[in-house]
Amino acid sequence: MTAEKITSGSDDHGAKKKLGIGFWLCVIWLTIMACVALFIPFLPLKSPTSNFVDATQGRPPYAPSWTHWFGTDKDARDVFSRTLHGARISLTVGFTAITAGFVVGGTIGVISGYFRGWLDRISSFVFVVLLSFPSLVLAILLTSLIERSLLTVSLVLGLLSIAPVGRLARAATIQYADREFVLAARQIGSKDHQIILKEILPNVAIPMSSLALLGMAVAVVAEGGLAFLGLSVEKGITWGGLIQLGSDSSRTLEDAPWISFFPILMLFLTVLSLNFAGDRLRAFFDVKEAAL
Amino acid sequence: MRFYGQRVALAILLLLAVSMLTFGALNVLGDPLFNVLGPVAGDVNNPDSIKMIEAAKREFSLDRPLPVRYAIWLSDFVRGDFGVTFSSTGQPPVSGVISERLPRTFTLVAMAQLIAVFVSIPWALITASRAGKISDRISTLNAFFLLAMPNFALAVILKFVFSIKLGWTPLTYVGNDPLGSRLFQMLLPALTIGLPVAAVYQRLLRTDIITTLQQDFILLARTKGLSRSRILIAHALRPSLFSFVTVVGLNTGALIGGSIVAETVFRIPGIGSTLVESVLRNDFPVVLAIVMIVASSFVIINLFVDFAYTLIDPRVRK
Repeated sequence: MTAEKITSGSDDHGAKKKLGIGFWLCVIWLTIMACVALFIPFLPLKSPTSNFVDATQGRPPYAPSWTHWFGTDKDARDVFSRTLHGARISLTVGFTAITAGFVVGGTIGVISGYFRGWLDRISSFVFVVLLSFPSLVLAILLTSLIERSLLTVSLVLGLLSIAPVGRLARAATIQYADREFVLAARQIGSKDHQIILKEILPNVAIPMSSLALLGMAVAVVAEGGLAFLGLSVEKGITWGGLIQLGSDSSRTLEDAPWISFFPILMLFLTVLSLNFAGDRLRAFFDVKEAAL
Repeated sequence: MRFYGQRVALAILLLLAVSMLTFGALNVLGDPLFNVLGPVAGDVNNPDSIKMIEAAKREFSLDRPLPVRYAIWLSDFVRGDFGVTFSSTGQPPVSGVISERLPRTFTLVAMAQLIAVFVSIPWALITASRAGKISDRISTLNAFFLLAMPNFALAVILKFVFSIKLGWTPLTYVGNDPLGSRLFQMLLPALTIGLPVAAVYQRLLRTDIITTLQQDFILLARTKGLSRSRILIAHALRPSLFSFVTVVGLNTGALIGGSIVAETVFRIPGIGSTLVESVLRNDFPVVLAIVMIVASSFVIINLFVDFAYTLIDPRVRK
């Protein structure tokens, strides 16, 4: 999770201080996806689990057509409906994970960055331990040991985002902890918790929140990877699982590429939108990775 | 010297913490008995199965308290004995599984790293020298596309296009083939892992080269009348490689994560695909050994990156 963060550095010098049309296109796509995820039971879609066997067409899978826009899979289930249903778990897990990571990691990071001392040493060591596993390895290890429900998978991915988020929050807090306005607040007798909430948090939260979209992209990809390996939410449709189903044998992939390619397209567009919008936001708020 | 000693001590402490965490999680959250005996493990009323449970517990030292088991495992592990696989026979030993499969993963990761480095350097040089022009913008867009493509999806696409539709690359990995053809069979998996990483490197290196190109000594080289390509390669590249080296080291984790996926999609029996299989089978000793090997290599590589840093810039040593 650390390495990917460095990727999308906003290196347009002479940064334009506007978000641009691309940003809004991404926001529109993400809004559509969020609505799909929220309201999927009420949308007029074919049932994702029914088998639409059509005797005139022979054996499934059927190629994309007017009745099945994205075609059907080997069990004659509608790929379009299933792909849209996949948005629900993928986005819920991504959102919950990054929220949990930000709340827990952010709190630990801000507190240890503000108070320093032994607390800071311990939390920094814990972060280093967590970061010394490649994140996918740790995710596989943890998800294999638990009952994989929507909540637990989200929490595992949330746990993984604690360390990177915590480190950034700590570094950002240290930057502000000795600034004049914090000293001033202390001089007039503010308590530590008041300083943290009123002086530090607003300064740290805004740049951090622009990283939230990038973090969510990482979480969505991680969930997809777990699902692809058969280690995400056990019951239910996920993009990773759909892609796995469409590519588990070379035969399926050759005869019916649509089964895996439409979920790939949705996943790709969603991750692209999260990355792009996140990158624009970061450039907009001028968050410099080096400064953190 | 003190600096190096501290770094090594920290690395060892880190690995101990990692091993305790993994060992504890596997033993507390999982049920190793079930894997050895199957449903018998839950059948505690039948005297026969109780006997089998007792025997299995003794055989795999499951009857000892957790800290003792950890100590036994650790002392075996540092001597290269990774224990027995949790199967009814305990064969093959974990070290056998690892020594057979680790070289494949190592080759794959090394290939991916080479691809990433040798794609990203020219890519960064070309785009940095044309920063802001249309070709640079297209390349930035490309990098964005690559980074938004999760590696398991990229694997499926590459497999579909190059193995199935075009037929250029073989579909399967065959362990008995001669070295050359096995390397060729690893090309697509290595591309799967390496290409997104190349995009990461390119983004970073491009920015650093652009910064270097604004320095005075580049201006001097230009006034001397050196050609643009010579300035880029002989003057601008080297001073720009500083953070590139770090990120190449740090990205080993992403490469190992990628190899898990790539090995699974392309059916290469390396330690990545073995990790997934063992996790699904609850084969703890194998999982533990693989996690420790991955974490150790990660920590050791970062140690070397730290040391390399002090060689380049002695101020880091404080």
